[in-house]
Amino acid sequence: MKAKLIVGGAAAATTAAALLLGGVLTGNGAPEARALPTPTLVARLDRRGNAFAQRARMTADVAYYTRAEYVYRRALQLAPRDLPATIGLGALELSRHKFRHAFALGRRAVALSPTTAAGYGVLGDALLELGRYRSAFATFDKMVGLRPGVSSYARISYARELLGDVAGAAQAMRYAVDAAAGEPQALAWSHMQLGKLYWAHGDGVAAGREYREALRIQPGYTYALDALAQVEAAHGRSAAAIALSRQAADVMPFPQFVANYGDVLRTAGRPAAARRQYALVEVIGRLERANHVNVDLELALFDIDHGVRLDRTVALARLAHAERPSIDGDDVLAWALARNGRCGEALRFSERALRLGTLDAPKFFHRGMIERCLGHGGEARRWFRRALMLNPHFSLLWAPAARRYVR
Amino acid sequence: MRKLAFVLLAAAASAALIVAFASRGGSPSAAQASSHREAPLIAEDPSADNTDTYAFRSPDKPDTVTIISNYIPGEDPAAGPNWYTFSPSARYVIYADKNGDGKPDVTWRFRFRNRAPVAFLQNTQQEYNVTRLDGSGPRVVGDGLLTPPDNIGPRSTPNYHALATAGVHDLSDGSKVFAGQRDDGFFGDIGAAFDLVAIRSGTGASAGGKDFFAGYAVHSIALQVPLSQLDNGGNHVVGIWSSSERPKITVQFNGRKAGRDTKWVQVSRLGNPLINELLIPTQLKDKWNASTPDKDKKFEQYYSSPILAQLLNQLYPQFGPFQETNRSDLVSVLLTGLKEPNLNYTGPTEADEIRLNLGIAPTAPVGQGNRLGVLGGDLAGYPNGRRLEDDVIDISERAVGGVLIGHSLPLGDGVDANDVPYMTTFPYQADPFSGYDNTKGQQKP
Repeated sequence: MKAKLIVGGAAAATTAAALLLGGVLTGNGAPEARALPTPTLVARLDRRGNAFAQRARMTADVAYYTRAEYVYRRALQLAPRDLPATIGLGALELSRHKFRHAFALGRRAVALSPTTAAGYGVLGDALLELGRYRSAFATFDKMVGLRPGVSSYARISYARELLGDVAGAAQAMRYAVDAAAGEPQALAWSHMQLGKLYWAHGDGVAAGREYREALRIQPGYTYALDALAQVEAAHGRSAAAIALSRQAADVMPFPQFVANYGDVLRTAGRPAAARRQYALVEVIGRLERANHVNVDLELALFDIDHGVRLDRTVALARLAHAERPSIDGDDVLAWALARNGRCGEALRFSERALRLGTLDAPKFFHRGMIERCLGHGGEARRWFRRALMLNPHFSLLWAPAARRYVR
Repeated sequence: MRKLAFVLLAAAASAALIVAFASRGGSPSAAQASSHREAPLIAEDPSADNTDTYAFRSPDKPDTVTIISNYIPGEDPAAGPNWYTFSPSARYVIYADKNGDGKPDVTWRFRFRNRAPVAFLQNTQQEYNVTRLDGSGPRVVGDGLLTPPDNIGPRSTPNYHALATAGVHDLSDGSKVFAGQRDDGFFGDIGAAFDLVAIRSGTGASAGGKDFFAGYAVHSIALQVPLSQLDNGGNHVVGIWSSSERPKITVQFNGRKAGRDTKWVQVSRLGNPLINELLIPTQLKDKWNASTPDKDKKFEQYYSSPILAQLLNQLYPQFGPFQETNRSDLVSVLLTGLKEPNLNYTGPTEADEIRLNLGIAPTAPVGQGNRLGVLGGDLAGYPNGRRLEDDVIDISERAVGGVLIGHSLPLGDGVDANDVPYMTTFPYQADPFSGYDNTKGQQKP
């Protein structure tokens, strides 16, 4: 595969130069590293940074982010205007959920090169998570105008999904799938993401088809294993769900894979095994924080959903919300407040969470719970019905509750 | 853009020449959080990646011009079940500029459609149509044409040569066309870049390198056009380039399918080889790929003051000095054609095109021309047009090294020819290796 050949790593940069004059040099004629010009050194650091960041994403070992950051910063010391390191560092901060840092780096990348699409990708993603949707959408439009392709189509798709335009989101994601051909990782990701879109809007058959396609392209692709486990579990096929979910959590112990594995076990009637996984989530969360990955919002949601120290979740959610004033931040804070009986305040944040018109079953369910808590029975049932109509299996934990409350 | 070569050369050259952020490895990392969707930031788009463009008078039919445009770098014949096809949502385009203004006078557009799977397997045979624009409005000159399938192996695709031959079709404008998988006719020692002992013992400009592209395939679009359609009757020089385009969409969905109203954005282009890789700085690559040759004046400084020359001086002072600025030699050979001596000058408009002087007859059968083209005294070769056998890595290295301004170094990569012979008839590039027969890997006893 060409990928293997191209990810030559740092060695490539040094020796490529020699190759260029291959006809002239012989033997050990390759220049010493210290004799390399700054641009060559910087290119080498950029590549090494990318390799570390990629390894973090592939292995779920977030310590590699720290190493990637160090390497990118070295590159920027040598060449403060280096675009690849600026974009690489921005992408890294997005991965670590440091959206304000990513925003600054995205702005910097766009200033360094107003015609490079990837810089707008970093900037738009950051704006989105900071709740600045209008600017984010304009940034994505700019990005796709500079370079239509899997990276920009996927972002247009997500923006349309947030606006409640499901058909438009699917169309854009199919463009992404088409443009990812020949890049197995991008292709598997795109199929997986298209599957998630179908799943979130109630088309389990299409979702399963996309997840299996992702797995055909990249056997063992953890994100697709995890997603397919949700489909199997929702249809009561616990053995298959457990096998898939365990594989995902074993290979890449991301908090959400482990939490999902716990949920699958719990749904299959194995609460003790589920609790062991839940305990792991906590540990992994601490590990991520130690490596400067911000998981406040994810862990807050986990704690609220699973009733872990509920009294602390409001503070946790507020902290996360301050960092990430997006509709997801609004929703998690609303849900934390509701679970702690502060439903009047919760309603305000739920309204904010739904302000874009997003068709999002868990957010609808949370709203139903808030209305129910406020004594608005009819209104609550309306939200529960909306959630279930959108996706009858929207959550292993909460869909059964929604079905009960609707009656 | 020829990505493989690009990685090598860019690495050599400078960060400024590297586009590889979040790159090769940097494929998509999917959502780690329940909410934050981590979308990919890759610039790679192989199915729209224009790797090489060739234009030459056909040696076996000298009254025609052959134009070959290759896409999808580094196709591994044994990559199943992920085989390769043209992208159905993209548009592939070949241009001919007959009057030197950098704007197309004849344009051929290609759109591809997938066909139903066969026995649950991906069907790599695609249907396509060809639209011609030549000032009298768009006209479909071929429809329902078929590519051959990819060469999978003797069971799936038996008698591959016959299958491929059946992929040559007549267009209603008098041209012949072929689209589909071919052996990559490009050659060069890229693999050494990834080995610390990059300089193979005894590697000179003459031989000894390893052809990194050996055994790999590309997707190719080939046209054979009657010479009379391209000759302008004046100085007989035609400019050729190719590109690919993808539709622009917007967040606010307008509900239209890709069609007449679609706004297309060019994502890749190719005239002279290695321009994107060797000359265009990182921060301008997206812009350069999206822009048209008639606007190439904007990029002139990167031709006249190539970053590569500065780096060569730093890396290899013993071979210098390499002239770093005022490289009008490069501007002329790449952007206007050579005026003195007049080889293929098209006027003062600077545009990156392959300029083919139609008045110069083919000098050898396909594959037999002097690999150094004009530098080797063979006027029918690069930079007068570009033939398959033209060794553009050696030629470009020598050109940047200053061969046209009296600084002649026998630079080269030690790979002088393709690993397999070209065919003597259209579409010339050889049949691709099959997945079954591919030459990579090792058979275990």
